[in-house]
Amino acid sequence: MPLDTSAYGLALLRVDGRRWNELRRMHAQIRTQAAADGSSYLEMGHTKVMCVVTGPSEPGPRRGGLGGTASGGGASSAQSKDAEVAVSIVVAGFSSVDRKRPGRGDKRILELQSTISSALAASLHTHLFPHSTISISLHVLSQDGSLLAALINAATLACVDAGIPMTDYVVACTAGSTSTYAANDEAADPLLDLNHQEEQELPGLTVATLGQTDRVAVLVCESRVQVSRLEGMLAVGVDGCKQVREILDRVVRDKGHRMLLEGTVERGAGLDDMEVD
Amino acid sequence: MASTTQHALLSPAELAYLHASLSLTPPIRPDGRSATQFRPLAAETGILPGTNGSARICFADGTEAIVGVKAEVERTRRGDGGREDDGGELGGGGGGGGGLGSRLEGDFVEGLEGDFVEGLEGTVFLGAMLAEALLASGEFAKKLWINRRFHWKLYLDILLISPPLSYPLPLLSLTTHLALLATRLPRLKSEGDEDPFFDDDWAAAPYLYTRTKDGKATSRPPVSLLVMAVGNNIIFDPSKEELAVADVALAVSVGEETTKTDEEVDESSSSLGRNLRLLSVRTIDPPSRLTPPGVPNATNSAYGAAATTQKQPEARAAESEAVEGVWKAPRGGAKALVMAALVQKSLVRGGVADEVLDALDAVDLVA
Amino acid sequence: MPREAEPSLNEKQFLLQAIQENLRLDGREPDQYRPLGLTFGDEHGVADVTLGKTRVLARASAEVTVPYADRPLDGVFTIATELSPMASPAFEVNRPTETEVLLSRLLEKTVRRSGALDTESLCLVAGQKCWSVRVDVHVLSHDGNLIDASCFAVVAALRHFRKPDTSIEGGVLTVYTPAEREPVPLGWLHSPFCVTWSYFGDEGETALLDATRAEEQVRVGSCTISLNRHGEICQIAKLGGTPVDALMLLQCTSIALAKVKEISSLLDRKLDEDTKQRNKGGRAAELTAENDR
Repeated sequence: MPLDTSAYGLALLRVDGRRWNELRRMHAQIRTQAAADGSSYLEMGHTKVMCVVTGPSEPGPRRGGLGGTASGGGASSAQSKDAEVAVSIVVAGFSSVDRKRPGRGDKRILELQSTISSALAASLHTHLFPHSTISISLHVLSQDGSLLAALINAATLACVDAGIPMTDYVVACTAGSTSTYAANDEAADPLLDLNHQEEQELPGLTVATLGQTDRVAVLVCESRVQVSRLEGMLAVGVDGCKQVREILDRVVRDKGHRMLLEGTVERGAGLDDMEVD
Repeated sequence: MASTTQHALLSPAELAYLHASLSLTPPIRPDGRSATQFRPLAAETGILPGTNGSARICFADGTEAIVGVKAEVERTRRGDGGREDDGGELGGGGGGGGGLGSRLEGDFVEGLEGDFVEGLEGTVFLGAMLAEALLASGEFAKKLWINRRFHWKLYLDILLISPPLSYPLPLLSLTTHLALLATRLPRLKSEGDEDPFFDDDWAAAPYLYTRTKDGKATSRPPVSLLVMAVGNNIIFDPSKEELAVADVALAVSVGEETTKTDEEVDESSSSLGRNLRLLSVRTIDPPSRLTPPGVPNATNSAYGAAATTQKQPEARAAESEAVEGVWKAPRGGAKALVMAALVQKSLVRGGVADEVLDALDAVDLVA
Repeated sequence: MPREAEPSLNEKQFLLQAIQENLRLDGREPDQYRPLGLTFGDEHGVADVTLGKTRVLARASAEVTVPYADRPLDGVFTIATELSPMASPAFEVNRPTETEVLLSRLLEKTVRRSGALDTESLCLVAGQKCWSVRVDVHVLSHDGNLIDASCFAVVAALRHFRKPDTSIEGGVLTVYTPAEREPVPLGWLHSPFCVTWSYFGDEGETALLDATRAEEQVRVGSCTISLNRHGEICQIAKLGGTPVDALMLLQCTSIALAKVKEISSLLDRKLDEDTKQRNKGGRAAELTAENDR
């Protein structure tokens, strides 16, 4: 079903009633899983993902002979000076509209795993944990576009919860453009945070930046688009990442504040900045 | 038989201590529960609007599972001789692994190649156990019938979110139970054997397990419970450590008798408790069989026992005779009486199965 | 699992120091490719690409099959990549490494998903018969920048390829041998090429094109941009690595566009030369298989 984009020009509203620069409702929680070192739950619209982080810990026996079940950040694991970031993604069969059999060794999933692993490895201070593994396991419960972005955000939150030192949040969101590549109109507006329908019909890209900076850790574009539109989309995406960082930061601070009030954690030197907000 | 892979790393001395305390009357469990007490759990249903039914359960020890049910219409194969071809597919997915599926039709099993979900061997075995219980009553298959040409195909995807801290069967079974209770299928609008079409109105969709007006399910899916015996004590819902000293462990699947449908029976059932029915029993190979035995002081050279040159026969003798307070892995099968008691205990009115079903009843079902 | 030998600390330091001083080991400019060579095989659809010491062979083939049930009007198009131990001891047969998975995904996105090949033109009888076009990519020698070389080889092989001519009469499909009717080129829509940037330095402030294997081993991140000469992005993949400034990525994209135009005209020239050479024998002149797009 082609997406009716003609109406956009009139009311400047998207299919789900958002403006061009509006994020979908974003809801996140950390420490959702008592048994894990770090965990998070994140919703971006109807895209829902869960993340559990174990480690840094001693690298366990390599499981799964299938290549790249856990793709490492650094190609070498045991002898490496840095901790390996192993990411595994499980896409639940019920996550999309039609049930799909979770295919093992799906190249798309392997690519996502490798991307998240390498993006986080650049921000996490892996050199502090030589010869160890940080394993990040992600579960996709529901998909409605911006999957990679949601996975990156959830993984970042879970790493924060696990207390792994990092330079800054790695935050991600998607950006798109209002008309397809064929329509060569220069007036096409950029859009922020695409849902599944928009992702299917319109050109778009996923950007992940390092916190508040303009530095891009991940840039993935999988659709045909005029090169001239890249700049606009990238600018909107980077701007969206900054909004996302604010939201994630708020989630972490709120949780920290609550834990202080409940007395789950002692008020320590490291937590002083919590009370600033 | 499948082995529970998560070996608790306990020394023979710890095992002996644990075994001794669990053999007392009443048994003393490490977490202070009584013998028939379940771990506290938090449950919710209808968490995923994109599914036909979903549920999430969190045990107090932090293990967590999510189950989603998806239904598809499938054309019934011809020449099936009156028996409805009802697919049901169970996927056990977990930790970092991904789904495994075992199709519940005939004995055709898919995706079995040596694929072990993070520290959780025997996903296939788990899936098969859950499936076996579901299909045992024969009632479940009938619910999926649409007309003579079509049937529903139900996909149950189980995600184990946490690292498996204990044998996950009860967790997965209870979560599946709740998800199925919350499952709704669109209301059929077509009649007879024509191609089926359905009501768009989700609010009108009936539950797979029919309900009374006040929202109580009249029938319910089975639950599988883990029961183990230490000496003559029967202990429910064992933790990983407890399972490491079990003499015998059983997975008991219990269903509710579904013969009563009238309201008057409904009342009587509340006063009398449930009519529980045993659906299946599976022995679980407890990890205790693989634990290393302790060495009694008498033969331990560190405690002054003479170092004999002919070690072999003596070592064997030491293994065969039990020394009080020294851990020895259980050998051989369980006594028939204990087995009978295990099953009996799970079925008794007001017993554990009853209690668990009551507790699940209390979960607010929204789909 | 065999692993690639990592460069020694000295080697690493030397390379990085040189790059910081704007020097490359082989004396190239930062945005200069190694010499790009292309030879076609005797058969149609075989392309042998060399990029410095990297060498990739791509072979296109076609057969008649049944289309996928969910796409009855489309032909089948697959790209198979194989990294054998021949290219590097780190590769094993039947065990896809991360490099191989990422390479095949990139080719897939660049060539297949961007719609370079008109798959609808491969359909013969809707829902029953279609052409299945397959490109096999073999890496013969690996000295860095496999992606750009492989993508060039795939596009070259496909544009050089001729599939047998067919006709349908009364529901009967006839496939003609080359002797009966001249084979026909594939329905080709646009030619995308990959350009891979490698980033060096703590903040990824130095960008180099066409990294050699040694440079790839010490880089902190990379970004592959696929474009065609009409200025359409087909795919961008910066899959993690050290964050790079957004403006730098935009600059990289515009340089990449210039490079793609160069590569594109190189391929056109080579294809022209090849056609002329084949025509020398006096084969029909109407064989001008060039697609003007």
